[in-house]
Amino acid sequence: MPDDTKASALPAGEGTLVSTARDRATKASKGTASAVAPYLFALFAVGVIWQVAIAVLDPPSTILPSPVSVAGTFFEELFSGELIVNAAVSLTRVTSAWLISALIGIPLGVLIARSRAAERLIDPIIELFRPISPLAWIPLAILWFGIGEAGKVFIIFIATFFPIVLNTVDGIKRVDPVLLRAGQVLGCTNQVELFLRVMLPAAIPSILVGLRVSFGTGWAAIIAAELVAANSGLGYLIADGMEILRSDLVMVGMIAIGIIGVLVDAIFKLVANRVG
Amino acid sequence: MDMSQPPGEAHRPDADGRAAIEISRVSKQFHDGEGGVVEAIRSTSLDIAEGDFVAIVGPSGCGKSTLLNMLGGFDSPSSGQILVDGKAIAGPDIQRGMVFQDYALFPWLSVLDNVTFGLKKSHSRSEARDEAMKWLELVGLKDFARKQPKHLSGGMKQRVAIARTFATDPRVILMDEPFGALDALTRRFLQQQLLKIWREHRKTVVFITHSVQEAVYLANRVVIMTARPGRIKLDEKIELAHPRKVTDPAFRDTEARIFEALDEELAKTFSLETSDGHAD
Ligand SMILES: Nc1ncnc2c1ncn2[C@@H]1O[C@H](COP(=O)(O)OP(=O)(O)O)[C@@H](O)[C@H]1O
Ligand SMILES: [Mg+2]
Repeated sequence: MPDDTKASALPAGEGTLVSTARDRATKASKGTASAVAPYLFALFAVGVIWQVAIAVLDPPSTILPSPVSVAGTFFEELFSGELIVNAAVSLTRVTSAWLISALIGIPLGVLIARSRAAERLIDPIIELFRPISPLAWIPLAILWFGIGEAGKVFIIFIATFFPIVLNTVDGIKRVDPVLLRAGQVLGCTNQVELFLRVMLPAAIPSILVGLRVSFGTGWAAIIAAELVAANSGLGYLIADGMEILRSDLVMVGMIAIGIIGVLVDAIFKLVANRVG
Repeated sequence: MDMSQPPGEAHRPDADGRAAIEISRVSKQFHDGEGGVVEAIRSTSLDIAEGDFVAIVGPSGCGKSTLLNMLGGFDSPSSGQILVDGKAIAGPDIQRGMVFQDYALFPWLSVLDNVTFGLKKSHSRSEARDEAMKWLELVGLKDFARKQPKHLSGGMKQRVAIARTFATDPRVILMDEPFGALDALTRRFLQQQLLKIWREHRKTVVFITHSVQEAVYLANRVVIMTARPGRIKLDEKIELAHPRKVTDPAFRDTEARIFEALDEELAKTFSLETSDGHAD
């Protein structure tokens, strides 16, 4: 179970995240209801199929609990604060790893896009490492970083790094050359100025796509990161539920991952719409 | 950048009768990527005086853009030289503004910020704003200052681009088929606006077009280029008084004379395309 120091600090963070999403949604578009409706419908449809399966197959509740009992556990965990704390811990891990990836990945992407030599050197390395799943890094992460936070952040870093680099490279390379010419005849006299005033702003939409996609892949890797020696987080919630044969708890963890993934993605889309 | 030139060194090229732009025996070859060489321009010479409005007309692929890009400093001649106020072109410069066919507005900036882009170094914030607003008003887009370019029509975008270029007060303005993508009515409106601004400010303008009528309507000098490799076939002063009317007999005579020269070149272009299979 998560320790109490974290429990007191983290719900606020989670609350902010959700309310920000809502605030922007209502400000940015009247279509919030119509944007949320498909997700509610999806949840409802899954619930119906699930309930029918239970009625037909009548499995023991440890194998497939009913939607109603899972919903019960969900709210129980939610109101006890347990779910929010675990979600916040996971979000913090993903966010840290994602920020580190951005800090390294965006400059590296710019370098690869701008320098032929850097591209020749780094591109093959990236292509070699990219197909290796974050899961495969678990043993090395433990060896190198031990079982603390660093190892978990490292695994998510692996999952978030490549989309950021690749989208940055793509964004910089695709800048319309005519915009660069326009920048030059409008007084950008050196490459640094041209980069800061034209190239980078022109590449921002693509870089934002990279940041959004990578947060998604990082979030999806949370289970891998928390598979080993975690005592908090949604991945831990799922692993713990498995250990004590509480499949309803496992499902609550899964549902929370799904919902938070959708919410975070929606925030990114709103930000991207504002910038683009 | 040339803006920090010591006073008196340049800026009065007319005093000694020197042209603002001297193009001397300029040739340009490109490698076509398959080991071959495309000769875009061959030994072309052209002097453009300060304040001239020169329209360059020629069949597509004859090297008009190549020439303009060299004037802009984006490319350099394979042989020969181009002097602006007596100095060789070293690269792109704010003194030689360019208006592009596809507008080239910065999509992440508002209309106003697009126009102030080139004023950042020479003006204070509020001066830049005032100057930009003045130009936006001149092209009739004052009310659109806060809009993003994506909300504007093609004609409006090109007016912003024209305001953006004139606002930096360049000595020379290069325009590569700036109205080519616009519908006839919008084009007519922009031609009139451009002419009005040019007559007030007397910038040296090099204007590329494939429309003879547009050339005769706008320019005080029309240059016809030959089919590739481009050279100058005809260089004609247009003395018609403004406002010009495309229906005037004098206008039509001029137009007809230029068309005749162009027709010969078009015939060559097509025989060139069928003989070397190198369509443009
Ligand atoms: N960068 C380049 N590389 C190779 N060939 C080019 C390049 N730029 C132009 N050309 C060729 O030079 C010729 C003249 O092109 P251009 O100046 O664009 O013609 P225009 O603007 O008159 O239509 C064409 O045959 C074109 O294919
Ligand atoms: Mg052209």
